[in-house]
Amino acid sequence: MPQLTCINPNEQAIDVSFEPGETILQATYRAGVDGILAECGGGCSCATCHVILNGNWDGTLEEPSVQEADMLSFAVDPTPYSRLACQVRLTDQHEGLTLAVAKRQY
Amino acid sequence: MRLGIVGAGQAACTLIAELIRGDFKGDILVFNGETHAPYQRPPLSKNWLKTSDDPTSLRLLPEPLETHPSIQWIQTSVQSLSPDQGLVTTDQGTYSVDHLVLATGTTAIKPSIPGLASESIHVIRTLDHALRLKKSLEGVTNITIIGAGFLAFELASSLADPSRTIRILAKGIRALPQVAVKTADRLVDQAPASIRVGVEIERFDETTKALVTNHGSIPTDLVIAAIGAQPNAELATACGLGSSDGIPVDEFMQTAHPKVSAIGEVSLHHQPHLNRIQRIESISEANDSASVCAKRLLGHPEPFQTIPWFWSDQGDAKLQIAGLCDRTDEETCLIESETELVMIRHQGQRVTAIEALNSAKEFMAARRLLDQGDLALDDLLQAGSVFARLQSSRS
Ligand SMILES: Cc1cc2nc3c(=O)[nH]c(=O)nc-3n(C[C@H](O)[C@H](O)[C@H](O)COP(=O)(O)OP(=O)(O)OC[C@H]3O[C@@H](n4cnc5c(N)ncnc54)[C@H](O)[C@@H]3O)c2cc1C
Ligand code: FES
Repeated sequence: MPQLTCINPNEQAIDVSFEPGETILQATYRAGVDGILAECGGGCSCATCHVILNGNWDGTLEEPSVQEADMLSFAVDPTPYSRLACQVRLTDQHEGLTLAVAKRQY
Repeated sequence: MRLGIVGAGQAACTLIAELIRGDFKGDILVFNGETHAPYQRPPLSKNWLKTSDDPTSLRLLPEPLETHPSIQWIQTSVQSLSPDQGLVTTDQGTYSVDHLVLATGTTAIKPSIPGLASESIHVIRTLDHALRLKKSLEGVTNITIIGAGFLAFELASSLADPSRTIRILAKGIRALPQVAVKTADRLVDQAPASIRVGVEIERFDETTKALVTNHGSIPTDLVIAAIGAQPNAELATACGLGSSDGIPVDEFMQTAHPKVSAIGEVSLHHQPHLNRIQRIESISEANDSASVCAKRLLGHPEPFQTIPWFWSDQGDAKLQIAGLCDRTDEETCLIESETELVMIRHQGQRVTAIEALNSAKEFMAARRLLDQGDLALDDLLQAGSVFARLQSSRS
């Protein structure tokens, strides 16, 4: 299985393996990564699954939808690389992706 | 300390996660009355019903928590409690605990319809209900949903299919009474179902396969009732701690007995935002009450004070509500376009809730503002408010 690296809010790096086709939320949740609350269970309704990708994965990831972008603009300290983990689908191309869980979800 | 949790739903799982995260010193016994590992309920009436996703995508607890060494899962229903002795009785034996948290949720109400066996009326509350409904859909062309709330409308959207006719029958005078008239009108217009209000169902007629009502005969192959739920408070009531309205608790989720707490939608407590005692059925209530209980059990109590919020997927439309209002609260429209709608609910100047349809920014802003304290209608409407800025930057 391909892997990504997740930096949790305590700055620990955790290797997370994923099935292509899953979302970042599904992969990190299964691994029990701390700090992703995902209160709406992946419904793009709560913005408590805010993660920050390390650099630009443009072209390999689908652009955020209007709903996701709007939710993100009100997340805590969003960056240009912020995403909602429940909305990002992973493929084989994302082997080696590194992301940080937002320090605070609200 | 040995903690017993009755129920393994949303509130129980949030409690478990927060206790483990907070380095809880003790053992946790979880009594799960269902045959499935903890799962999420909201998708059951939404996208999940349309897709062939298997139930594992609904898992509520990550594996490291589910298999955490301080948690013991007991797959059975609790039959009775003796709070003074700290005893929990099940068909697998009696367990002794130091503190007990009741997180038993609610049970869907089934109407009785003469001519229709109770088993023939579907409800959606559990994964088993949803699996059963999925299996029953084959060859069904006429679906009748009884109810007027979010669940009825979500089901209609999720079950919509060119080969099916979906009808929503509501007893009351309007559909979706919990939201503003304008919001409800929008959702009614968009719903892939025909909606009738003021309907009294007399019986089911087997020969014509139809519900006989005061609105005539309604062809029906499958009936789903979405008319509400009642709190699972019997265990508590049997030891003098519950009522038919739920399990009363204080702002720390403590019942009248020092060894017993209650959380989630079975708990009945003062809602600071509403300034009255009310039971609330939502994920935010389950999470927030569990979080309050966890903090108390971890030794740093903080009272319940969060602002409720809610969402509902109606097909492609997303409704998000920040705050909570009375059905009679006034309504003022803030934003209205072809796709978006933002309604302010208020009591005079005091804003009680914001209903945002396809308007995620306004919903998020409203949550923030309500969290900061009382919100005045004029502030929201005045130029310079967050909303007005948002609106002008959009146009
Ligand atoms: C189809 C559906 C869609 C929903 N959609 C939304 C939504 O979009 N947004 C939202 O905010 N909310 C939604 N909700 C509501 C939300 O899911 C609930 O409010 C929430 O799950 C309540 O959590 P809880 O832990 O209090 O109860 P539950 O999640 O119901 O868990 C209670 C558990 O306790 C168990 N139990 C009861 N008695 C016993 C016993 N004696 N022994 C052992 N176990 C017992 C039950 O079997 C159950 O598993 C939805 C609910 C449903 C059913
Ligand atoms: S889990 Fe709620 S927005 Fe991602």
